[in-house]
Amino acid sequence: MPEEIVNTQAQNPKEDEPRIGVYVCNCGGNIGDVVKCEHVARTLERLPNVVVSRDNMFMCSDPGQKMIADDIKEKGVNRVVIGACSIFLHEQTFRRTLERAGLNPYLYYHIGLREQVSWVHHGTPKEATEKSIRMMAAGIAKARNMKPLEPVRLPAHRQALVIGGGVAGLRSALDLARRGLKVTLVEKSHYLGGHMAQWERVFPTNEEARPLLKRLIDQVLAEPNITIHTGAEVIGAKGYVGNYNVTIRQTPRGVRETFPNEQEAIDVCPIKRRKRFDFGLSTSKAIYRTYTGCVPESLVIDWETCTKCGECVKVAPEGMINLDEEAQEFTVDVGAVVLATGFQPYEPFYGEMGWKEFPEVITLPQLHRLLDDEGPTQGKFWWNGHPVKNVAIIHCVGSRQVEGVHRAQPDGNVNNYCSRVCCTASLSMASLIRQKAPDAKIYEVFEDIRAYGRGHEDYYTRASKNNVTFLRYFAEEIPEVRRADEKAEHPLLVKVRDHLTWGEEIEIPVDLVVLSVGMMPNPVQDLMEIFKVTPGSDRFLLEVHPKLRPVETAVNGVVLAGTAQGPMNIQESCAAASAAASKVSALIEQAKVELEPYVARVDPDKCQGSGECVKVCPQEEAIELKTFSENGNTFQRAVVTPANCNGCGVCVSACPNRAIDVQGWRLDEYEAMVSAIAADIPAWEGAA
Amino acid sequence: MSTNQIKVDALVVGGGISGMQTALDLGDQGYKVAVVERKSSIGGKMIDLSKVFPTLDCCSCITTPKMSATAHHDNITLLTYSEIESINRDGNGFKVQATKKPRYVREDDCTGCRSCELVCPLEVSEDEHEFGRTSHRVVYVPFSTAVPQKALVDLDHCLFCGKCIQACPSDAIDFTQQPEPVEIETRSIVLATGFETTPINAKKEYGAGKLRNVISGMMMERLLAPTGPYGRVLRPSDGKMPASIAYVQCAGSRDQTLGVPYCSRVCCMYAIKQAMLLSGALPLAEITIYYMDIRTFGKGYEQFYQNAKAMGVEFLKGKVARITEDENQNPIVRVELIDEFGKTRVTERQHDLVVLSVGLLPGGNPQPKFGVPVGEDGFVQVPDYNVFPAVTSQPGIFVTGAAAGPMDIVDSIMMAGAAASSAASYLEAGNGSRKEAQRQPERSVEYA
Amino acid sequence: MTTETPQKGKILLLATLSGGYRGADMVGQGHMDYPPNTYILPVMSSAIFPPKFYIDAFEKGFDAITVMYSGTDSPYKGESEKTAEIINETYEKMKELNLDLRRLRLAAICTVCVRPFLEEVQRAESLLEEIGPLPRPLAKQGVAANVN
Ligand SMILES: Cc1cc2nc3c(=O)[nH]c(=O)nc-3n(C[C@H](O)[C@H](O)[C@H](O)COP(=O)(O)OP(=O)(O)OC[C@H]3O[C@@H](n4cnc5c(N)ncnc54)[C@H](O)[C@@H]3O)c2cc1C
Ligand SMILES: Cc1cc2nc3c(=O)[nH]c(=O)nc-3n(C[C@H](O)[C@H](O)[C@H](O)COP(=O)(O)OP(=O)(O)OC[C@H]3O[C@@H](n4cnc5c(N)ncnc54)[C@H](O)[C@@H]3O)c2cc1C
Ligand code: SF4
Ligand code: SF4
Repeated sequence: MPEEIVNTQAQNPKEDEPRIGVYVCNCGGNIGDVVKCEHVARTLERLPNVVVSRDNMFMCSDPGQKMIADDIKEKGVNRVVIGACSIFLHEQTFRRTLERAGLNPYLYYHIGLREQVSWVHHGTPKEATEKSIRMMAAGIAKARNMKPLEPVRLPAHRQALVIGGGVAGLRSALDLARRGLKVTLVEKSHYLGGHMAQWERVFPTNEEARPLLKRLIDQVLAEPNITIHTGAEVIGAKGYVGNYNVTIRQTPRGVRETFPNEQEAIDVCPIKRRKRFDFGLSTSKAIYRTYTGCVPESLVIDWETCTKCGECVKVAPEGMINLDEEAQEFTVDVGAVVLATGFQPYEPFYGEMGWKEFPEVITLPQLHRLLDDEGPTQGKFWWNGHPVKNVAIIHCVGSRQVEGVHRAQPDGNVNNYCSRVCCTASLSMASLIRQKAPDAKIYEVFEDIRAYGRGHEDYYTRASKNNVTFLRYFAEEIPEVRRADEKAEHPLLVKVRDHLTWGEEIEIPVDLVVLSVGMMPNPVQDLMEIFKVTPGSDRFLLEVHPKLRPVETAVNGVVLAGTAQGPMNIQESCAAASAAASKVSALIEQAKVELEPYVARVDPDKCQGSGECVKVCPQEEAIELKTFSENGNTFQRAVVTPANCNGCGVCVSACPNRAIDVQGWRLDEYEAMVSAIAADIPAWEGAA
Repeated sequence: MSTNQIKVDALVVGGGISGMQTALDLGDQGYKVAVVERKSSIGGKMIDLSKVFPTLDCCSCITTPKMSATAHHDNITLLTYSEIESINRDGNGFKVQATKKPRYVREDDCTGCRSCELVCPLEVSEDEHEFGRTSHRVVYVPFSTAVPQKALVDLDHCLFCGKCIQACPSDAIDFTQQPEPVEIETRSIVLATGFETTPINAKKEYGAGKLRNVISGMMMERLLAPTGPYGRVLRPSDGKMPASIAYVQCAGSRDQTLGVPYCSRVCCMYAIKQAMLLSGALPLAEITIYYMDIRTFGKGYEQFYQNAKAMGVEFLKGKVARITEDENQNPIVRVELIDEFGKTRVTERQHDLVVLSVGLLPGGNPQPKFGVPVGEDGFVQVPDYNVFPAVTSQPGIFVTGAAAGPMDIVDSIMMAGAAASSAASYLEAGNGSRKEAQRQPERSVEYA
Repeated sequence: MTTETPQKGKILLLATLSGGYRGADMVGQGHMDYPPNTYILPVMSSAIFPPKFYIDAFEKGFDAITVMYSGTDSPYKGESEKTAEIINETYEKMKELNLDLRRLRLAAICTVCVRPFLEEVQRAESLLEEIGPLPRPLAKQGVAANVN
């Protein structure tokens, strides 16, 4: 027979007798529609040490919290057990409630009755109710054993690391610096600004992208608190919130600064490479400048293609170009990290709507370069040496994909999300094309037009006025791009079943097809491993909760900014970046952080100095044997350095004397919980 | 009273989700903040919602803890039931005159026990919170999760019978209360005044508000909310459980005739959310959404839309031209449909209940009081829209949430962080308090 | 062989807060159903439990235990190796007691492992369907088994 739940309390000395308050949240029906909350509360009332047991519509609301606070003050409740939504949502909320009521915030235990009971046992309310009782009884059992804890307080570096120098990273850095924090900004490429620098213009303001970006960069450069490293990447990090020691590796630029006869140096370079900045539409030499006015401005050498022939060195001023410079590694100490690593445009696979199969198929990012005065055609809407007369822009390429219809990415998932910017970006390009080629036939082939933001709808209305033809398709029937007859005036045909007219199959003859490709996150597997952050199923970095903690990751001290988190436009990226700066400021501005007290603790009475813990501990300097003497006897005892202990608990199971526990998660608490779940439920008459 | 003068670093106008989050973000960074909310409780529109997309969290679970945190934050002063009267620039900051409207209940004394409510003999049937669908007593605590949990008296309906005065255990009722002027000295201002929805009678083609079984999205939120009027979904005319429900999208948005050419950005998602909740509450009901474009653009939103489709919600592309009703008050929707095979035809379909996915309008014009201009769309103008989305053209005045254009909760919360950060930057630069010691001697750009 | 009526039995899921516990939350957010005889306890680190803990849990009333640890995604260096080591030690003890080793399982479940989580639950459920709950006390069963 399973043992009774009762007997654990004997361990507690009388004066500190646990007086447990139990609260069951209905969660506005989320829990209450399945679990009979009142019944749970009534049943638990009968357990030893339970002083009050209540159910409530919203425990997390102010009246709900007040109820707890009142019970603490008036009924002498000194342990709190709450059954509500996920522990990740409101643990902090309730801890603060306890704190305000004068109780140690760690004398509280949270049971997830929503995500782990009501939402997964819809069909079995009776069993769900019984399970809730058992889970809550476990919480009560743990509560009997809980001890007050104090957070580990550590000094923090008033310095932040921003990884990624796109518009989001720049904006974060600026806000942090203005807030008085030091910032190290690390950008992988050799120029600042990320993708924004590549756009001809930006919606919804129609501003030229690079001057707009330059204004931001100038503000960043003017901040003495910001140190920027371009061509640099983070290759390792040690530590934790407040105290990260990050290793950065910087590849040399090869060129010291700008110099007068740069063109000569470029001209003598024998190597041609595809220019990534133009998405491969043009070429540059191995020594090149990304774009006029880029920051840093000096030329840069592409080490992948440079043969170190030394021609450029010969014409450049003495010491200006150094082909033998080695990569440098250095470390910085920071208190928090902003991940602003951005996105990459979706790369269609061979043959997807004619991609790579026909040279007349390009992507929207390439169209931006094509229409750019600094681009491969100096802004003329020409392709293959001819003006483009008919153009089709196909939306949602690489976005809103349907399993079974679209080809999956290597991880087996299709991109089932909307990329959010491509609709309006396409419409804004349509309007630019109209300016440049008043007679061109422009087709937008779309699923839904998502011109959602402020000023976006204007592009839609304008496009209609501008004689842009809209053709609608469904994801299940992807438009087809094929080669037209040799004699045809336009080399390609786009076949669409148009759902705006009569569901007819229409073939439109075009000179150019533009694939409005979506966003994929920049691959940052290495950073995910270094900082232990996780992606969501869409592969973008995952926030804790989109509403409660939208820019924070599950790792304290690591926050997200911009499109690393999901598709966003510039305005949204900047808002997110700024929000990230807010969080970081609040975290380290005081030059100290508080960490959870969940670290190992040795019971000196039980410790025999066996040293097993020291042997197994994987952390550096977290636990060691120290020699003590008392009454002439010297003996050894294990001692923990809380700042270095991460609470992995490897030592707990290794200790032959059961002298170690991780505070807040003690073994005896687990034993009590297991007993409580297995025990008979008192007076369970079965739910109706 | 001594509370009549408040000195803060930032004044947040509006206590909706965005205002609260801004206050919290600033408060957490150590700035003193005052929040002025015109209603009797903070929480804004969000508190009226049922569950919220895209996570389907119960709305209270997101809002009420933030309300509570705002109210209890050491650095935040809360002024509810208060109006901003005037604003004057004063050196580097602002002098703001506000008025605390009389609740006729002393806030300091009221414990929210609701004893007064129990004895009050008169029901008032107009509760802005419940959209006129339920009633409250003349003296009442706004709603069960209101912050502050303090009663107020609706003097217009009061019989002055004095029962509440007798019943109140803490002697908090005070009919002699007068409007109280409050002077707020602040160094910056954040506008978080939110939005209003298109009035249900705005469009005459859709019945001009006269059809009883044509309701707005906001009313449906109330019907679906656990705290709502009936506790379940019934249609207004006869209390019948609707078996067929239709949503009309862009009802009040993307509509030149109403002077609202823009997209309201949240209505596609809230309609889909409600459709999903309805298929839970009324498993047998057929739900149709008539739309022009489905705009589910946010993180996880497209997947949400696809889930709704998979659950059997019917999505029909077509513009609803007119709504009328039959003799049983069943709404009839005349729609130009584009069916699965692409055939367009005008058809009339009868439903039990029609929900208008009403759009978002600006919550008020800040120009007269705050000198902050608005854009063509009526929302606060933001000069450097792309890069500094929370900074208005008035130095020291910032904007967040739906006051800066339609946006959902996720975006409003993000914007709140941005507004707090921009305000903090401004505050730090303003008085030169930026710690010199932090400055670095090195060159700020390293050209490696 | 047990011939008792297969009363379903209890399943204990020890799930790491950085892994399986979040995975379980994710399953909940997706409103996916699984049987309610499952009891999830959050653990910071799966490495704290000595073999005795598992044996005791079987003794107290659990019929299957799955440790949903974070595997290679663990935020703790050494957690996964140590956990695996302990589970192996526990297997030795289980053999001594003649317990079916399938009753204890170690599975790596990450924060978004919705399907794997459900599969693990299903596996434990099917196992209990197959072999039924444990007769208790365990020691006796061991003895009985030895006699057979
Ligand atoms: C075709 C197209 C047109 C668009 N047009 C518009 C428009 O008109 N208006 C608008 O508002 N938005 C537009 N957008 C969206 C806009 O480009 C993005 O919102 C914006 O660029 C996002 O900025 P970011 O900083 O998040 O990312 P990014 O611009 O991608 O910047 C990320 C930066 O991080 C760096 N990085 C990546 N990994 C690492 C690493 N490991 N270490 C160090 N650095 C790293 C990258 O080199 C890059 O510089 C458009 C998008 C597309 C695809
Ligand atoms: C029917 C409907 C359903 C929705 N569902 C969802 C959903 O499921 N998920 C989601 O993410 N979003 C949803 N939304 C959108 C959501 O409501 C908004 O994003 C959010 O409420 C915006 O918050 P806010 O703080 O900016 O504005 P508000 O909530 O409007 O708050 C503004 C506050 O300011 C106060 N105020 C205004 N003017 C003044 C003044 N002059 N002085 C003092 N105070 C003032 C108001 O009283 C109010 O309390 C929905 C919207 C509607 C209409
Ligand atoms: S924004 Fe438009 S083009 Fe881009 S994925 Fe979404 S619906 Fe498709
Ligand atoms: S969000 Fe959807 S319903 Fe609302 S205005 Fe935009 S397109 Fe119309």
